[in-house]
Amino acid sequence: MEQTHDPILSVEGVELSFGANRVLKNVSFNVHKGEIRAIIGPNGAGKTSLLNCMSGFYRPQGGRIMFDGNDVTTTAPHNIASLGMARTFQNIALYTGLSTLDNLMAARHIHMKQGTLASMLYWGQAQREEIRHREVVEEIIDFLEIEQIRKAVVGALPYGLRKRVELGRALALEPDLLLLDEPMAGMNAEEKEDMARFVLDIHERRGITVVLIEHDMGLVMDISDRIVVIDFGEKIADGTPNEIKVDEKVIAAYLGQEE
Amino acid sequence: MRQPETLPQYFLQRVAMYDYPKEAIRQKEFGIWRTWSWQESYDMVRAFALGLMELGLTREGHVCSVGDNDREYLWAVLGVQASGAGVTGMFTDAISSEMEYIINHSDSSFVLAQDQEQCDKMLEIRDKLPKVRKVIYWDDRGLWNVEDDWLISFDEVCEIGRSVLPNSPNKFEEEIWKSAKDDVALISYTSGTTGLPKGVMLSHENLIEVVKRAADLDPRYDTDNHLSFAPLGWIVEYALGFAPHVIYGIIMNFPEEPETVRENIREIAPELLFYNARLWDQLLGLVQVRMNDATALNRWLYKTFLPVGYRMAEARFRGKTPGLGTQIANAIGDMLVFRPLRDQLGMVNVRSAITAGTVLSPDHMRWFHAIGVNLKQIYGSTEVCGGVIGHYDKDIKVASVGKPFPGLKMRVTPQGEIHLGGPTVMKGYYKNPDKTAEDLAVDPDGTRWFKTGDAGYIDEDGHLIFQDRLKNMLRLETGESFSPQFIEGRLKFSPYIRDVMAIGDETRDVVTALIIIDFGNVSHWAEKQGLGFTTFTDLSQKSQVYELISEAVTEVNRTLDDGAEVRRFVLMHKEFDADEAEMTRSRKLKRNVLAEKYGDIIEAMYDGSQEVNVKALVVYQDGSESVVETDVRVMSV
Repeated sequence: MEQTHDPILSVEGVELSFGANRVLKNVSFNVHKGEIRAIIGPNGAGKTSLLNCMSGFYRPQGGRIMFDGNDVTTTAPHNIASLGMARTFQNIALYTGLSTLDNLMAARHIHMKQGTLASMLYWGQAQREEIRHREVVEEIIDFLEIEQIRKAVVGALPYGLRKRVELGRALALEPDLLLLDEPMAGMNAEEKEDMARFVLDIHERRGITVVLIEHDMGLVMDISDRIVVIDFGEKIADGTPNEIKVDEKVIAAYLGQEE
Repeated sequence: MRQPETLPQYFLQRVAMYDYPKEAIRQKEFGIWRTWSWQESYDMVRAFALGLMELGLTREGHVCSVGDNDREYLWAVLGVQASGAGVTGMFTDAISSEMEYIINHSDSSFVLAQDQEQCDKMLEIRDKLPKVRKVIYWDDRGLWNVEDDWLISFDEVCEIGRSVLPNSPNKFEEEIWKSAKDDVALISYTSGTTGLPKGVMLSHENLIEVVKRAADLDPRYDTDNHLSFAPLGWIVEYALGFAPHVIYGIIMNFPEEPETVRENIREIAPELLFYNARLWDQLLGLVQVRMNDATALNRWLYKTFLPVGYRMAEARFRGKTPGLGTQIANAIGDMLVFRPLRDQLGMVNVRSAITAGTVLSPDHMRWFHAIGVNLKQIYGSTEVCGGVIGHYDKDIKVASVGKPFPGLKMRVTPQGEIHLGGPTVMKGYYKNPDKTAEDLAVDPDGTRWFKTGDAGYIDEDGHLIFQDRLKNMLRLETGESFSPQFIEGRLKFSPYIRDVMAIGDETRDVVTALIIIDFGNVSHWAEKQGLGFTTFTDLSQKSQVYELISEAVTEVNRTLDDGAEVRRFVLMHKEFDADEAEMTRSRKLKRNVLAEKYGDIIEAMYDGSQEVNVKALVVYQDGSESVVETDVRVMSV
């Protein structure tokens, strides 16, 4: 996909504290439309907090986060999805009692226009709308190769597949920006490779801008366009994988510093 | 139209037969079964064939293909054959070096490689494939950004074909009618367990004959639904799916993904179903497990009606009609239990179900018949185009592999080797005249025979009993030959026997056996008999248990040649154990290890002893060792 230098999202001087604990200290960076942007950093650096701010889940005490002309820090989380942003969670958050199909269909909610009564009657416009949404969902099922679990209850699925269903649900929102919180955590080498391929395909074929948090450095270096490094709530580096690899502050943060 | 004698000629006949959009192919995509008519199929095959010829495929050429079962694969095979060339199927999980051998040995000028995974393998060995002009793919996922003119998509080939169509509107038909029945349709590489794979050349006549002879027993109709899922590197799908599709017009249904086959079978409910013996065993196991979890009412119904089903099955095996009472009870059982069960397994419409590979145990065979599945054994090989021996309806012997299909022949040589004859016998091995001459024989009357290398015999009812590979047969001092694996397999049909090692060689006068009881089943039996026991060793040495196993041995002896029966056996005091290197992890016996380790017991069976004292070194899982001493009895039958 064509990369531009128009920022789709910009994080401007974000400050976040829990009580006396300053989690994010004046963090600023931006995400260009059409890139894969990785956020890395040691454990507890504040990566997930940052992602939670970006998705409107946390309200930072200072700074702002502009997404497509809107300040997400003042937008209610349930309205952010309709702006074109979707995310997955580090600890999978799906409707465990529902099937894969139902989980994906539920995500289409924001695109549904028919009223409750019309949907219950399932007739005319409402039926056509349901079929249209099912088509979108089926295309995602095909894309993520989860046909065999279409009707399986999500709670009974193995971890790697649940991760994939969660990604599917995020895609069903048809976002412009996708936030992935450790999509490959806890996976074996083959599952990781599959997931990396899906992320690349999402980016290339569906034209979605991707922000991802990931621990596997090899993988991050391979698939990201630009990387921002967070340590103790501060941005310590920002650049291309090649720049990050040789950055002294990053090496120090990861390997430890001699006192 | 001329009488067709090649598969593409049958295809043309079939297309011309329908003046309405009759469904030819279905494939599940995006959760919905989509349909393609014969006319649509024709347009695709013609475009692809013309495109291939434009790209340089010649009538003498060969094309290798690898991919999952889907409509493009079918169109591609027909397109290649329409151009007069032959097809070679490969397994999707083959590694690139295996593919390299087959592609080069078959002199293939094109490779059909479904998707990125297969194309990657081709790119990896590109330098070693000088004869391959193009690699054709049809699933473009992950191949969007590849810019390499060695790779070309299926659609692009069809585009080329459509662009040349106005200039040569009749070329497609002309090429098809140039072919003769003796032309090679398929080169099927057999997985040689020793040495390199051999390319079995099968003609259009071979394939057409095998389909028609099988249909004499199990007719196929253009309303039949076939689910195509057997791997296309193997002969089976061509003989049961692709060829009957063009000859009889059966509807080809392609699964959504290889992983969804179970689900798709239930949706399609085919009329004819082929699984290997292992899968039938697994299905039965699955039902038994589910049954244990079923509601009390369902369990009661199952237990009540299953014996009725067994009575029906026994009668049907012998071609008899059971009594009216049984018939009525079975009809009720069918409504309440059997039909819902068959529905779960996707077998509501099955007229004939087929098993191949090893011989299914009689108990399992009977069970499937009891629930109303007409399960039959077939036997054959790639060299005779698949299955050519099989059970006829109402003439099913659970231990046999059946009789030759009508018009086909079998014979057993004095050495005990099975030969298969008739019009399905291959043309030969590609580029291997020595091996061809070795494996084929021609009678003065022109009948061609394939020497299978299998050992077997024909029983009094004319059924073929398959024993083993000929090279695995052993000979006794008396000159009598026997198959240890055959005897072991048959003994293991008894639910009370878990493992067996049959013993005998040129220094021994009779066959003997070391038998391991099935602890679960025998202890259950012992409880019912009110027989007390403590450990495995204790149970195994009970005289009642010896009697029980003796009955099973006598039963098997009846099916064995005179002089090759099991005359003495010992019930082992412990199970064979992979941790002690007595078996492989896949539970195959390590015969040499066992013969040495249990030498004392084996000698006792030949020197007339009644019992033998064994001191066994037991290695526990924590590595500690102890010696167990016990007396083991020898029983004569």
